[in-house]
Formats: sequence, C-alpha cells, structure tokens
Amino acid sequence: MNYDAGDYAASLDAAMAAADYAGFAERKAAAAKKGKLRGIGMSNYIEACGLAPSAAVGSLGAGVGLWESAEVRVNAAGTIEVLTGSHSHGQGHETTFAQLVNQRFGVPIDSVSIVHGDTDKVQMGMGTYGSRSGAVGMSAVAKALDKVEAKAKKIAAHLLEADEGDIVIEDGALKVTGTDRQVPWFQMALAAYTAHNLPGGMEPGLKETSFYDPSNFTFPAGCYVCEVEIDPETGVTEIVQFVAADDFGNIINPMIVEGQVHGGVAQGIGQALLEGTRYDASGQLLTASYMDYTMPRADDLPSFKVSTSNTPCPGNPLGIKGCGEAGAIGSPPAVINAITDAIGITDIAMPASPSTVWAAIRATKH
Amino acid sequence: MYSVNYHRAASVADAAKLLKSGDAKLLSGGMTLIPAMKTRLAAPSDLVDLSRIKELQGVKVSGKTVTIGAATTHHDVASNEKLKKACPALAHMASRIGDPAVRYKGTIGGSIANNDPAADYPAALLALDATIVTNKREIAAGKFFTGLFETALKDGEIITAVTFTAPLKAAYEKFRNPASRYAIVGVFVAKGKDGVRVAVTGAGDDGVFRSKEIEAALTKSFTAAALDGVKISAKNLMSDIHASADYRANLVAVMAKRAVAAANA
Repeated sequence: MNYDAGDYAASLDAAMAAADYAGFAERKAAAAKKGKLRGIGMSNYIEACGLAPSAAVGSLGAGVGLWESAEVRVNAAGTIEVLTGSHSHGQGHETTFAQLVNQRFGVPIDSVSIVHGDTDKVQMGMGTYGSRSGAVGMSAVAKALDKVEAKAKKIAAHLLEADEGDIVIEDGALKVTGTDRQVPWFQMALAAYTAHNLPGGMEPGLKETSFYDPSNFTFPAGCYVCEVEIDPETGVTEIVQFVAADDFGNIINPMIVEGQVHGGVAQGIGQALLEGTRYDASGQLLTASYMDYTMPRADDLPSFKVSTSNTPCPGNPLGIKGCGEAGAIGSPPAVINAITDAIGITDIAMPASPSTVWAAIRATKH
Repeated sequence: MYSVNYHRAASVADAAKLLKSGDAKLLSGGMTLIPAMKTRLAAPSDLVDLSRIKELQGVKVSGKTVTIGAATTHHDVASNEKLKKACPALAHMASRIGDPAVRYKGTIGGSIANNDPAADYPAALLALDATIVTNKREIAAGKFFTGLFETALKDGEIITAVTFTAPLKAAYEKFRNPASRYAIVGVFVAKGKDGVRVAVTGAGDDGVFRSKEIEAALTKSFTAAALDGVKISAKNLMSDIHASADYRANLVAVMAKRAVAAANA
C-alpha cells in the first residue's frame, strides 16, 4: 500500500495562519503578566483509513474481507431506497447517502430513504469503523447507482426513441442532450415496473446491487495547533485556542464533517486532559462512574477553528478520504505539546489533570 | 429501590413522632438519600418527608442575625435578596452547589445532616460560627461536624434551622473535582467582630476543619498577601485518585488567598 495523494503543506499553512502562530510570543508575554504559563503545540498526523482492500487485510491475518455492499431500489413511484452495509450511529449516513443520490439523479432528497442496520432487509455488509463509510460504503452505493443509471438511460432512450449515449440525467429528468425532449425520473421508474414498453429482452424493475472492494487504504492528513494557558498555582489547563486543518479529500456534507471533527477533538482533549481509568492495588476499578471518570463536558472545551482542504483521493470513485477519526488522532499530541511547551518540559503523562500538571510544574522548581 | 412507606410530615412535632415508626429516615431534598436507596446502599422502612413543613422554610434576616430554615433549598438561599446583602458570600456559595436541579431540591439541613466531606455548607457554617438549631437544642457548628458523614445529631433529633451573625467580610472559593464537580478543596473565610475564622472542606481526612495557620496569618492582616509563605501541612489531608494530600495542601493555601481577595474586593 502506498500513500496516495495529499496537500500536506496546505494543512500546515492553514493551521499556522488560523492559529496566528507568529503572534504567539506576544500572547505568551501577555499571559505571563497575568501569572499564567502559555504554551503552543502542534501535531501533524496522517492515518490509514477507508478499511480496506480485502486481499491486503487477508494477508495481514484478518478473518474477513473489508469490502462493503449496497443495494439501490428504485420504486415504481420513483422513490429510492438505499440499503447499505454501513451502519449509522450518529454519523449522519441518512443525510450524506441521500445527498449522493440527489446529486446523481436530481431527485428530491426526501424521496430517498436510507436503510441500515436491519439484517432482515440489508444484505451482508461490513459496518462502520475506520472512517470507511464514506470511502468504502458510499463507493459501494455509487457503484450500484452506476448500474441503476445505465438501465435507467436504456429505458429512457427507448421511451424517447433516442440513442442511449445521448441521455443525460439532471434535475430529476432523463433528457436527450441538446434537445427539449425528456422523460421525468418517476415516469421512467413507472415504465420500468409497468413493463409495457421496455427495450427487447430487458427485465422489468429497477433494482441493483453492488459489492465494492477498495484498491487502497485512504490517507487523511492534517495539522492541529493547540494553545493553552496554565494556572501554575492550581495546575488547571485552559485550552484558549484549538485549530484543526484537515485534508479529507472530497466532502459530501461540510457540516457533518465539521461535526465529526468537533466530536473527535473533544474526545482527544478528553484523553489528553481528563479521562483515565484507574484501579487500586487489589484490582478494584476506582473510576467506575462519571463521579470519578472525567468525561469531557462543554465547559472543558473551547470553540474550535476548523478548516479543510480537499485533495481528491485517487483510490475510490468519490475521491473521499474519510473524517471519522482525525479529530481524536490529531488532538492529543497537540494538547500535550502545548502543555510541555508552557511548562518547559519534554513529556507529561495523560491525562494531564490539574494535579499532574501542578506536580510537573513543582518538579521543575526542585 | 426496595419498597418504602412514605409519610408527609405536617409539622416538626409530627415528623418527630413519625420518625419513631420502624427504621425511618428523614427525607428533605433527597439528593443523597434517594440515590443511596436506588443503589440499595440505604433501605429504610419509612421515609418522613420534611420538605412541606412551613416552619422549616425560608431565610430571615433581622439586623445582623441570619436564620435559615432547615428545609430551605440551595436555590432559595442563593436568590434571597436580604441574604445577598447581609452575607453575599453564603448566597454565592449556595449558587454554586451542584447543578440547577440539585439547587432546586437540595436543602441546607439535608446537606449538613449528611456532612459529606466534600459538601460546601459545612465549611460555611464552621467559618461563620453558626449555630445549628434542632427540635431539642442548639449546637455550635464547631461541635456539630464530628467526622466523615458524622454529626452530633442524636436519634430522633431534627434540624430546624441554622443561625449566625453576618460577618463583616467573607468569601468562599472552591476547586472542583473535574469529574464530580464536588469540592476537592473549598475554603470559606469570614472576618467577624470576634476575629477571623477559616474553614476547609473537601480536603480533611476527617471532614471539615478550621485552618489555624491561615486564621493566625489573617488575624494579623486580612489580606491575600498575608498568606504568602504560609505552608499548609499535608498531614491529615485526604489523598485519592484526583488529588494527593500535597496537592490538596497547596490548594488550601491558594483557595484561601483567592477567598480573601474576593472578600476584600
């Protein structure tokens, strides 16, 4: 597997600019006047997502293939059901997968329904993890849409007495390019099911299935910059600025991508500053409830400055790299680097809780 | 939760009578007792609800004397206009207990009867040299809080009110446990006409205590600067996964300094 495409310098430049890296020394001096230790930290990450070419994972010992499946059912009324093996548990597949269909056929987004997680209905699939739903799951949908499109064009060409190669699909209609002749999407779908006037030998109905096996992993990458102020008297770390600049390839829904980054960064900050599982000497779990296990909460987090660049991924038909884990990967090192920079040390254990930070500051004075 | 007989007491006398039935417990806001019953750490046969008794409700300010009914909620303490003038430190402290839901249900009497080592009220009442009034007697705060979850209350005794003389200056600063948001260290400083009292919650391995070192320094000069160089011993302080005794000792000094600065502001 080879790293494929990415504009790593673009992420670095965007992050440095958004963080006003050049102005840091001035902000550090201003913080010192208030008795605070200010530090800045950066992390540049690249990850392997879009799991994964089945032969490759097989050679690594996996007991499964990591393809994904999709089924697209165009109903007689023209509404479209997409059955996907990618499960949605908060990632917004119901929106993004429907957008994909809308972009392809111009049918209203509310005429598209996404079915997932129901093993009575959905054929075997491999699920949601490793930032694979976009890159692999949607690629499977795209492949099924290709087949639907090909058959729909054949039906439309037959109805319009045109050449199949001259049919284009836009705005919810199949049109003969360069003319005003067209057949609405729903009428084509109805024709597929009445089967009164189909091309010779064509099966009635309009339903297609696909299995998509990626040819490579995908490689999202980015640059994160965190700036902290530490109260040396208590060891409390405040994140005063957090910048995430990611190259996710093509993006279907910017708001959902931003939400995924927000959630990931919150999780990563939780890991860096707050969350830790502790046991006593006898093996008793001490952090067994949220009274003792510190989940990140809104008031632990700053507003994030998030941006993306979009180098298309050459490994899949949609050019998607994936965004599910980036936030949680890039943020812990950025936070820890900011803390060690503020204190003037080279390492600190996670979670860098107030007591841990206070002890680290005290150790520098002995 | 096991089944339980619920009684709504009409008066303190009625509550005292009902308290004799079976293995009865007093219920006020229920902020500690109900979770303990849900997890079956407590299984009383009967609950005697004090929260509707009129005589236990409300804040009275008469000259410098403040009296707070035992069943007064944290919200009602925090938002009482007369108290905000007489002792703003206590109103502010109450405004930062738990979260809004807790503040609308939890009561001052319930909090001090439970005497959780991380609760806020014990520090306030000890620093304010308050008197705890029960249906049987009056107890000075200094004698009331006797240890972790332990008080001087006897069987059948019901707290009816808390009373104290408004201080000249006071403030409370707490450092919250990042997970539970209870005080890891809370310091209440109060300067009254009889001197300075400083009480610490969250930190002591035997519950709330007065810091003699800080009181001595502040008696000389009631300023944050007077605490520079005052070292708090880590001996007898709690140590747990959130904070070592050394860290708590440091926080006691830091919170005291900030409380004095706030009291003087």
